[in-house]
Amino acid sequence: SSVMDPEPIVRRNPPGTKAEDFYKWPAQSFDEMDTTLAVQQHIQQTIRQDFTDTETILTVPPGQDEGVWKYEQLRQFCLELNGLAIKLQTECTPLTCSQMTATEQWIFLCAAHKTPQGCPAIDYTRHTLDGAACLLNSNKYFPSRVSIKDSSVAKLGSVCRRVYRIFSHAYYHHRHIFDESENETYLCRRFTTFVIRYNLMSRDNLIVPIMDDASNTSNNNSVDQ
Amino acid sequence: KSPYSMPGILHFIQHEWSRFEMERAQWDVEKAELQARIAFLQGERKGQENLKRDLIRRIKMLEFALKQERAKVHKLKFGTDLSVEQKHNESNGKCDFPSTVSKTNELQTTNAHMSWRHGRQLLRQYLQEVGYSETILDVRSQRVRALLGNNYDAPKPVENDNQVVNGNISDEEKQSNRCVWNQLQLASCSLNLTPTLTSIFLPRSAGFVLATHSTDGNTESIFKDFNFLNAEDNDNEDDEDVNMQDEDVTDDGDHQRKARAKTMNGSLTCFTGPIKKDLQSMLDTLRGSEMSRATEEPYNLLNVFHSESLPFTVGGTHMGDESIENALGLGALAGLTVANEADPLSYDIAATKESYRKTWNPKYTLRSHFDGIRAIRFLPNESAVITASEDHTMKLWNLNKPLPSKKTQSLDVEPIYSFRGHSGAVLSLEVDADGSYCFSGGLDASVRVWSIPSVEIDAYDTYDPAVIQKVLVGHTDAVWSLSYSSTRQQLLSASSDCSVRLWNPTSNDPLIQTYTTEGIPTSVCFVQCDSNHAVVSHTDGKINLYDLETGQISLVLAEGDGSKYIDCSVNCVASHPTMPITMTAHDDKHIKFFDNSSGKLIHSMVAHLDSVTSLSVDPNGLYLLSGSHDCSIRLWNLDSKTCIQELTSHRKKFDESIYSVAFHPSATYIASAGADALAKIFV
Repeated sequence: SSVMDPEPIVRRNPPGTKAEDFYKWPAQSFDEMDTTLAVQQHIQQTIRQDFTDTETILTVPPGQDEGVWKYEQLRQFCLELNGLAIKLQTECTPLTCSQMTATEQWIFLCAAHKTPQGCPAIDYTRHTLDGAACLLNSNKYFPSRVSIKDSSVAKLGSVCRRVYRIFSHAYYHHRHIFDESENETYLCRRFTTFVIRYNLMSRDNLIVPIMDDASNTSNNNSVDQ
Repeated sequence: KSPYSMPGILHFIQHEWSRFEMERAQWDVEKAELQARIAFLQGERKGQENLKRDLIRRIKMLEFALKQERAKVHKLKFGTDLSVEQKHNESNGKCDFPSTVSKTNELQTTNAHMSWRHGRQLLRQYLQEVGYSETILDVRSQRVRALLGNNYDAPKPVENDNQVVNGNISDEEKQSNRCVWNQLQLASCSLNLTPTLTSIFLPRSAGFVLATHSTDGNTESIFKDFNFLNAEDNDNEDDEDVNMQDEDVTDDGDHQRKARAKTMNGSLTCFTGPIKKDLQSMLDTLRGSEMSRATEEPYNLLNVFHSESLPFTVGGTHMGDESIENALGLGALAGLTVANEADPLSYDIAATKESYRKTWNPKYTLRSHFDGIRAIRFLPNESAVITASEDHTMKLWNLNKPLPSKKTQSLDVEPIYSFRGHSGAVLSLEVDADGSYCFSGGLDASVRVWSIPSVEIDAYDTYDPAVIQKVLVGHTDAVWSLSYSSTRQQLLSASSDCSVRLWNPTSNDPLIQTYTTEGIPTSVCFVQCDSNHAVVSHTDGKINLYDLETGQISLVLAEGDGSKYIDCSVNCVASHPTMPITMTAHDDKHIKFFDNSSGKLIHSMVAHLDSVTSLSVDPNGLYLLSGSHDCSIRLWNLDSKTCIQELTSHRKKFDESIYSVAFHPSATYIASAGADALAKIFV
């Protein structure tokens, strides 16, 4: 909680903090942040200031390593996708959605298993998010939060691709859930802008129409993972 | 009439026979057991043989380096050959050795510093090959510094998560480490080795990288020595190694030397006799002095090597010092001294009595959350934990299934289940007494009851909606604290909506009672030895004891004075399992102890360098674990109220670092959870 002027600002959410006061301290400039989690702090702070301002949230601070920036952004996306997953849990069952699909042309197989499996959509969603959590936190590929190996940066693209399908399934099969979640978080449009800007996915795969963005639907009839 | 009868005799014989059969069966079982034991011991012995072999290699390596250094030093100091000194120092002085040494000295004068550093790098390489990682070396070198008496308080959190800061090592341990080193020196002297022999071992030993470093000064000198052995004339017939018994001693000097070279070039087994004996005694000493750390003998040896390598910088070069500092990974921290100016932390590291109790070491790191972990709890009957995070999820982890890894020192674990349901940060967590249900409280004001999946499930199983049992609705603001009573089978929750609620989680109408608090509660806890009462702490420092039947405050443990100072909040209350004592963790760095019957403050101590965030009592009521935003966890002896161990753990996010600590209710595990999204388990 923030305090009076002569006292130094202590940025904590201690027990007893009310929900409305959570994170309600004066913003800290990125350059002043001296913890190893500075990039995460900065991204979350910017989102709290205005979650609709996609541009500012995605703008990399000067001098910041781009690999780490992409990594931390992706962590934050996976974190926020939980909200969509929770809403889907109530409605998306193996009976309603026995496979992970978006538009009719694609069926997605879940890559979290030894051999790719045709998981029902809710399992696909959970497994993909859990798998992304394991990969992004893996000591083998991402041992540090302040520097990322180039070989590990390459992994971010496949995570993005799989995670995007959660959006596309929600959009085409649970439209009201998608809209409700999107209005609260602007998550899908921010994600789309993010993957385009950093070339993490090919535009062909971005099948959820985002306001002004041109959408391309693929004509292939094949299974993908 | 005779006492014997036919039936009686028959019966007796049958009885005896069956008894014999039974005994035979027992003996078979015993035999099998003993055979198994034999196999096990043989396996152990094999392991120790390998260990011994490694140690031999290392000793020889170090001896060689040592002798080189001495030669250099002597040369530099006195500008003369080592002839006199060398002969004196070595048990079997080889005549030509001094001249060889002087030659190599001339060669190496220019490479003096380089070769020392090379030596160190080589040592590191060998160790890496054997499997010791940098982190272990850093950990051990920190312990070395503790041994050498460089006390330092909790340093700033560094990149390496696995550092363990162990206050002072007890005197007994220091002594035992010194003993070990003395023994080693004795052993190495009695090994009767010369640097020429060691130089041969070095290029020839399997896996040693030295041979591939073709261009540095060390190898040159070594091969020079080798050449000496084959070519030069000498008269050292009578200083033959005791070990070289297989060889024919002929009158022809050259023939003898060549034969010796051949034999030495052959297997190492001819040396193993007396070496084995000495090393065996060395290992026994190691084992004897380190009772509770059976697996760490090689580490201790390494530890000792590091400590004694420091005096080698007799040359006093700055470069040498730097490389030590770098090697020990201290960098700027080396200059830190104990920063204990204002507050005499009222603890002292317990005396040698404690030296046999276990020291906790980090074992598992739980990586998977995307944001800080606010609470961590063990399952009562499994090696498993549940974590609750600000990333809105809780996760179940099975410690028996860590990720496969080459290093056994620190293992990573992946979760086997993610609990999704909260729509905001999950702030509090409790597990019931048999590990079938867990309870969570969140920023979204909900308290949720979950059924805990089996710890054997596959991480990527199908979704089972039955895991979500209930959502307890009632609070209107963040639920910061939960407490479960197994005797009552009831749950208490404290929320920043200024209320504490009592629930029966299994009933259809779960809310039993709501207690309105004056001020915002921060933590609630059933009194363990009297579940009709509960303790509640508040942001203004108030600590109240409630009677749950009447709903009234039965005793005020602390008045609370929110107006007087900023850091008056009490972050956590804990109840002693057997005595009517409440322990509290304060924002002002204190831990306080209150008597539940009289309400008096029994003890108060400055426990950390920053706000104390979390407490956990061990199930026997002997120890207390505390976590703080100063990035350290401290273990306290509850009788003496002294700190027996400090562990540095977790990095900061903004100004927070450690949120939660926990003891396992029945096994020897402790856990810590932090703002860096990691949880650590110590054994």
